[in-house]
Amino acid sequence: MAFKLPGLIGGLGITFKTMLQGAVTVQYPHEKEQPPARSRGVIALHEDNCTSCMLCSRACPDWCIYIEGHKEERPARREGGRPRAVNLLDRFDIDYALCMYCGICVEVCPFDALFWSPEYEYSEPNIASLLHNKDRLGEWFHTVPEVEPLEVGAAPVAKAKK
Amino acid sequence: MSSTEQPVTPTNDSPDFKAVPDFEVAPGMQRHLADARVNVELDTGDMIINLGPQHPATHGTLRLVVRLDGERVIAADPVIGYMHRGYEKLTEFRTYPQVTTLINRIDWLSSFANEVPFVHAAEQLMEIEAPPRAQYIRTALTELSRIATFLLFLGEMGLQVGALTPAFYGFRDREHVLNLIESATGGRFHPNFNRIGGLKDDLPWGWIAETRNVMKIVLDACDVFEDLVLGNEIFQARTRSVGIIPGELGASYGVSGSNLRASGVDWDLRRDGAPYLAYPELDFEVFTHPDGDSFARYWVRLQETRESARMVLQLLDKMPSGPIMAKVARIIKVPAGESWVETENPLGQMGYYVVSKGGTGPFRVKIRSASFSNVSILPWMLRGVYVPDVVTILASLYFILGDIDR
Repeated sequence: MAFKLPGLIGGLGITFKTMLQGAVTVQYPHEKEQPPARSRGVIALHEDNCTSCMLCSRACPDWCIYIEGHKEERPARREGGRPRAVNLLDRFDIDYALCMYCGICVEVCPFDALFWSPEYEYSEPNIASLLHNKDRLGEWFHTVPEVEPLEVGAAPVAKAKK
Repeated sequence: MSSTEQPVTPTNDSPDFKAVPDFEVAPGMQRHLADARVNVELDTGDMIINLGPQHPATHGTLRLVVRLDGERVIAADPVIGYMHRGYEKLTEFRTYPQVTTLINRIDWLSSFANEVPFVHAAEQLMEIEAPPRAQYIRTALTELSRIATFLLFLGEMGLQVGALTPAFYGFRDREHVLNLIESATGGRFHPNFNRIGGLKDDLPWGWIAETRNVMKIVLDACDVFEDLVLGNEIFQARTRSVGIIPGELGASYGVSGSNLRASGVDWDLRRDGAPYLAYPELDFEVFTHPDGDSFARYWVRLQETRESARMVLQLLDKMPSGPIMAKVARIIKVPAGESWVETENPLGQMGYYVVSKGGTGPFRVKIRSASFSNVSILPWMLRGVYVPDVVTILASLYFILGDIDR
């Protein structure tokens, strides 16, 4: 009968080999891993594009977006024209304590005012501080990555995403 | 002790006491008889203890009320519902895109595979079909989530029988797969990538090449687990002929997926069910094991992880080009009707029964989740096993509490 290496010894060989390969873990506060560009980290707001249409607020599955706005009259652009009414944003809050990070709000926004950013370092000791107002959401805007190219075989995007 | 009182039962002090009764016994049996006598004297009754709700072997809050005679389980009663979140009711107040977000959270280890049957049910009602490229990407991501789920199992199972090392390897290799899912969908655990009629987005540049590399890592990991865990004598001693499910009994309890295939029932919805996704165009094998014990369940899941990796490689080779979204209105309204779609999820058969009354959200959704039925066989399985085996049986059944309680 051929000699069979006991499974215990074989297993020790594997752990020994793994030991020589070095660590795969990252010491987080000192080294950071960059999440992929598509990663849903935090929602950024481009305030100038927002018309306070409330679509994102209504599409949210747990209703954690709070929007208030008002209309203001602006003088006519041309001589003899009618004065225009514009929507101005008073309040745009996202409660990240409730957010499920589904991305439906970003998708339904017809005016390109909401974007995903892969930033993730915004934990707070106080749960009330997770309510980000429009200034804080606007600060995330500069972290939004460029639209990345698609894989071979993808259909060209029909509608340019600006 | 006063001389007038006689002890009712003889004690060790009394002259009448004999550790071994007077009849002839085989020499080896004397110790056992003494033990039995002690049991009778001390009247060791059954003990009822709770394993859980927070027991490390249950992946969540499963409470197991077991009745013990010493180390042996006489009866076991799983108590579920600690994680009930009421998804079936919640869906009635959400629109279809919002429901996809919710059902990500049913079985959180294989979220992508959960979305597929629901989206299919809605697509059937609307009589649309996702384009072939979307079907292929869906299939690839479903198989990736199956690999991620099983890699965790392959490590976790070692942990439950007392080996810490495989758990680290399982997590390490699963991380590669989760990174792939994240780079394509944006979410590690909750992708929310399926849309009715297709997918949210196409794959990012370089994803296919990266997936090929990771599949090599997965196949190597399967070899490692085969040597490290399956070949280990201690593991075999702990799992062989422990927790046997007879095939027919398992099927009558509603056990499905790898648990049933490990009992020798050759039934896989990817091959035997109504055709869905790109499975009819794939060449794959369905593994069964005749034993039905914990070891068989581990063996079957290991083989299926390998097979899934091969299926992903096939899908990448055959990936068609084209659009990923069918023509769908911006506000989705599903025509009135009912549909039932069942798929082979990593944990077993998962089905959605969707009733629509023509609105933007479903009227009623019934969710058939695999773990709920898999756990229903526990009272039968746990009768007469020892307490340490309860842990290996729970681990080898591999259920997710979110999937049980919904």
